[in-house]
Amino acid sequence: MIYFGMKTKNKKPFLNMDERNKQIAYKVISIMYFLTIFAMQGIVLYRQFALGQELGDFEDIAIIMTINSLFLVSALLYFGAIQIRKLKVKSLLLIYLAFVVLGSLFTYFKYNIFQSPGLSFEQLFDKIIIVVAIIGLIMGFWILLSILGKKRLDKELE
Amino acid sequence: MENIKLKIARVEKGLSQQDLADLVSATRQTIGLIEKGKYNPSLNLCVKIAKVLDKTLNDLFWYENKE
Repeated sequence: MIYFGMKTKNKKPFLNMDERNKQIAYKVISIMYFLTIFAMQGIVLYRQFALGQELGDFEDIAIIMTINSLFLVSALLYFGAIQIRKLKVKSLLLIYLAFVVLGSLFTYFKYNIFQSPGLSFEQLFDKIIIVVAIIGLIMGFWILLSILGKKRLDKELE
Repeated sequence: MENIKLKIARVEKGLSQQDLADLVSATRQTIGLIEKGKYNPSLNLCVKIAKVLDKTLNDLFWYENKE
């Protein structure tokens, strides 16, 4: 049936997907993405702690996972999925502290629990300083991206 | 909740689910699910459907709460 001024058939998008199809596809892709990341994380931990392999043996997986996670959070912040600007400085410091504690514990377990002989206190302290600095850099980068994302959004709203 | 209003408006226009789907760039399944009340369409799609059926959004998608 044709009405005045109406196209009988609109141009179909790629793969004939409408909004519902896309929603389902996004949901499935997101779930599969996280399953893949968790599986890779499991492989890395298993290789590192159960098999006792050196970092060099699974460096490729570790690099992919690190870059992937960094870019995932960065993109979420930049495109406004996570609103970090609503967080107070105190909350940001607490998050930073939590990351530092987790990183330090991981370092401690890696070098002093799963390896024998473990590192001396000074050696361990040097490693933890690196952890603190890297986490600080990453959080700084994320805060910068979230500010840039906010500016981008404000520009679109002008 | 089943969207009877949409179904009636579509039938009154003499359109099948497939016809309506083609006119609003959706799939027949999506139109079917909207009529069954099992999918919440975006505002954009609601407007497209309302325009095609010569109705307002209220006519098709607004329900008063029954006491």
